[in-house]
Amino acid sequence: MNAAVLVLRILLGGVLLAAGGLKVGHASSLAASIADFRLLPAAVIGPLALALPYLELLLGAYLIAGLFTRIAAALAAFEFLIYAVAIASAVMRRIPAGCGCFGPKDTALADWPHVAFDLALAAASGVVAFAAPGALAVDRVLRRV
Amino acid sequence: MNRRALAALTTVVVAAIVVVAVVVYFRGPTRGSVQVASQPPVVGKAQEGKTAPQFAVATTAGYFDLSKTRKPVFVEVFATWCPHCQRETAIIDRLYAKYRNRVEFVAVSGSDTAMDGTSTSSELDVLDWIRHFNVKYPVAYDPTLNVANLYLQGGFPTIAIIGTDKKIRYLDDGEIAYGELDSALRSVLR
Repeated sequence: MNAAVLVLRILLGGVLLAAGGLKVGHASSLAASIADFRLLPAAVIGPLALALPYLELLLGAYLIAGLFTRIAAALAAFEFLIYAVAIASAVMRRIPAGCGCFGPKDTALADWPHVAFDLALAAASGVVAFAAPGALAVDRVLRRV
Repeated sequence: MNRRALAALTTVVVAAIVVVAVVVYFRGPTRGSVQVASQPPVVGKAQEGKTAPQFAVATTAGYFDLSKTRKPVFVEVFATWCPHCQRETAIIDRLYAKYRNRVEFVAVSGSDTAMDGTSTSSELDVLDWIRHFNVKYPVAYDPTLNVANLYLQGGFPTIAIIGTDKKIRYLDDGEIAYGELDSALRSVLR
């Protein structure tokens, strides 16, 4: 079980590091992608577009390191659930919103497979939160201190 | 370092990211520049009737590569500080609503001066411009001013309409009326 949690942590952390890293330096593209969903006011979209890539990078690094694993995994599950809900609402409202999941080169439109992908990631994060910290986690070292 | 210290450090880092994002955004583009560009020449090498110079940019709707599109292309080189460009946004939004399925639209920033007319342009400046003028069509921030170097025709905005054969079918600068651009697009689509 510990090894399986480690694998999930690395997969989820890798997804978050890639998603965050590819968005860094592209605040306007990300803001436009968020605005496309027509769910948030402009005053929230701008700061969110600036902060989100760095928060995703931080979350990804913590998951891979196994530091505060339970909290990091729960936050990741919450984030992926929010993405799934936002994308599902765009699909149901027939809004042709770009996903923007992996930076400005990600031109895929929001669709049901994206919803399924985010729900799968949320479920995997839930498993990690439940069975945390898994093998090779900093949390294990900290417990011994 | 113990668990409590790491938790405190994490809280400080997360709070710092959020606070910096809010402060940078609400202080506006004048003091939040992230990239600096250099001044373009007044006239680029693009000419009506000639093959459109190749360019590729990351837009708000995804990556755009002129060489890879099979549709006609509507290109605007704009400056966020330019009042003509600001008024032109409403016209291009109407054209985008009408032709978005048949024509690729891309507006590219082409000045190193920001919306306030004095400070340096940046990605945040372009973001502010999109938000302020409620721009719907794809917009790209070009820190190199490469597209402006190629397409600018003496003034902002410069608008080029490129046919499926990659020849420039329309090229002009200044505040251009809806009817003229609509007619040029219909002609390219014929």
